[in-house]
Amino acid sequence: MSIGGWVTGRLGLDRLRAKYLGKPFPVHSTFFLGEIALFCFVVLVGTGMYLALFYEPSAASITGGAGPMPLAYASIVAIDATPFGALVRRMHHWAAQLMIASIVLHLMRIYFTASYKKPREVNWILGLVLLGATIGASFAGYLLPYDQFSVTATAIGYGIARSVPWVGPALADYGFAGAFPSPSSVPRFFAYHVVWAPLALSGLIALHLVILLKQKHTEPAAARAVRAPADAHLIEGVPLWPQQASLMAVLMLVVIAVTAVLSAFLPVHPSAFYGPPQPITPEVKPDWYLLWVYGALRLIPGGLSFRFLGATIGSEAIGAMLVPGILALAIVLVPWLDRGTSSLYYAESPTASPRRLAFGLAVVTLFLALSLAGFGAELGLGVPVLWVITLAAPLLVWWGSYLLAGGRRGAGA
Amino acid sequence: MDRRRFADWSLKVGIGAAIASAIPGVLTLRGKARSAATKAVEPGDRLVFALGQNAGQPVTRGGFSQNEAVLAYPEGKSDNHENLVLVAKLDPAELGPPLDMTGTAEGVVAYSAICTHLGCTVRFSEEPMDAAPFPHIHCPCHSALFDPRHGGVVMGGPAPRPLPQLPVRLNDKGEVVVSGPFTSPVGVKA
Ligand code: HEM
Ligand code: FES
Repeated sequence: MSIGGWVTGRLGLDRLRAKYLGKPFPVHSTFFLGEIALFCFVVLVGTGMYLALFYEPSAASITGGAGPMPLAYASIVAIDATPFGALVRRMHHWAAQLMIASIVLHLMRIYFTASYKKPREVNWILGLVLLGATIGASFAGYLLPYDQFSVTATAIGYGIARSVPWVGPALADYGFAGAFPSPSSVPRFFAYHVVWAPLALSGLIALHLVILLKQKHTEPAAARAVRAPADAHLIEGVPLWPQQASLMAVLMLVVIAVTAVLSAFLPVHPSAFYGPPQPITPEVKPDWYLLWVYGALRLIPGGLSFRFLGATIGSEAIGAMLVPGILALAIVLVPWLDRGTSSLYYAESPTASPRRLAFGLAVVTLFLALSLAGFGAELGLGVPVLWVITLAAPLLVWWGSYLLAGGRRGAGA
Repeated sequence: MDRRRFADWSLKVGIGAAIASAIPGVLTLRGKARSAATKAVEPGDRLVFALGQNAGQPVTRGGFSQNEAVLAYPEGKSDNHENLVLVAKLDPAELGPPLDMTGTAEGVVAYSAICTHLGCTVRFSEEPMDAAPFPHIHCPCHSALFDPRHGGVVMGGPAPRPLPQLPVRLNDKGEVVVSGPFTSPVGVKA
């Protein structure tokens, strides 16, 4: 008797196989974006577990070669001093970037093919929470090297937390373990980053996938044309085992290979170059996925403020909370804003609904325009010009794509 | 009381007690200041250089020239980030309201170095620029612009409030000494 047969017999795996391993997966290249995010998470856990063997979560000052420096910083410099350590650190960084990028693309795929419709609103929300949690995990990880760049970035986060109406100062001090920079912040962020965030992410990812298994994939819009309506509930695809599983294994190896190659050639976050923290603030920009918030912060003039229920909502709260909050809310509400009929089984073509296409492209343009505003000084564009771009570009894109997708015809009919 | 009511009540009291007992746990999340160096600035404190080879040495009137600025801490209180100040020496003839003139001496003025927008450390520059053709303070984070000659008022950019002024005087050795509290709360305000 084979080993496989022996295990199968003891654990009753036949029933599992019959029920789950035959699950059909529709094959389409954009259906892999979510899986790429998952594999990036696996790489993060793997590289993070290695880094945690050497990293020392303490801001206590020690005397290093070039004078006093925080222990955390010194331990990162020591990791970077070994070729393998430097590679793993870079891979951790690159995997974080790729994870966020693939979640964003995954989200756009779901949006433009209308795969968020009933009953999949639950996973739409969960996916957005996952994106937020991933950015949060990254933010917590950012402080850990405790170099000048890290401390500046986290200090701005602390400032943003303080600017929250009503509860800001308390929220900031509870979240950052005292007025930042405080020596307690490093162990606190280490715990967030290494225990709380990965556990939360694992749980959310598991839930996301269980719901997916329960609700099943939507099929690409093209499948609708070739299938009899009575057969709509059938899904055409490759079975989970062995075809889909081997596709996934290959994809996982590709993700590892890509992060390794990127890390071999492109340094990220060179802590020794930034140096240990000092009271001065260097010229920094956030990572690409937060550039839009940074741009919004630069655009809102200091004079702009209003009072609301006893709190003053100032320019910093408008730029860091109100603008991102409104955008996030609009995205969260997409399944309820879209009044089109929902299809349980099929995704839609991106151009099927001009309104959805136009709204989506306009929001993407708004994010890009706000990010552009983060480079105003470098591009020689003043704040008024950037305001015009930020308001006009999304409207133009909205209007253009609406017309191109045949929106007016639809409305006239 | 019958058994059902009793069970019901025990359950409710139990849940309430569990929630109440979590409160002290949550309260511990707020970090504690650990060292004496985190005390707030007080009148009478000497200002010392925060950076460079003179770090820890008193800032004196002769220690920097006109239209120059240095970052400083009140002596022995450098672990409290909110104590970080920018001390500038300006042309006394150019100073004007809303600056607290009694808190300046021979053109030496001091401001909180923490940007009122989101808390970055501001910089002093004497390079004239379009929006500020005079020595000014600017923030590297989102380009807030402040006027150090006139009480740190906002000249441009996203900062919602002027930089708080820290009144100073010169003692008989020419050292810069704090003479009063910050004129407004330091840093980001909710
Ligand atoms: C079990 C999972 C994880 C562990 C054990 C872990 C561990 C660590 C450790 C020890 C550091 C400090 C070392 C360093 O800075 O190079 C770090 C940094 C960092 N981590 Fe993680 N991490 C995990 C997951 C994640 C996830 C899910 C993300 C984000 C998507 C992330 C993003 C980052 C970032 C951006 C840094 C800064 C790295 C740097 O500056 O080099 N990590 N992580
Ligand atoms: S923190 Fe100074 S301008 Fe934003």
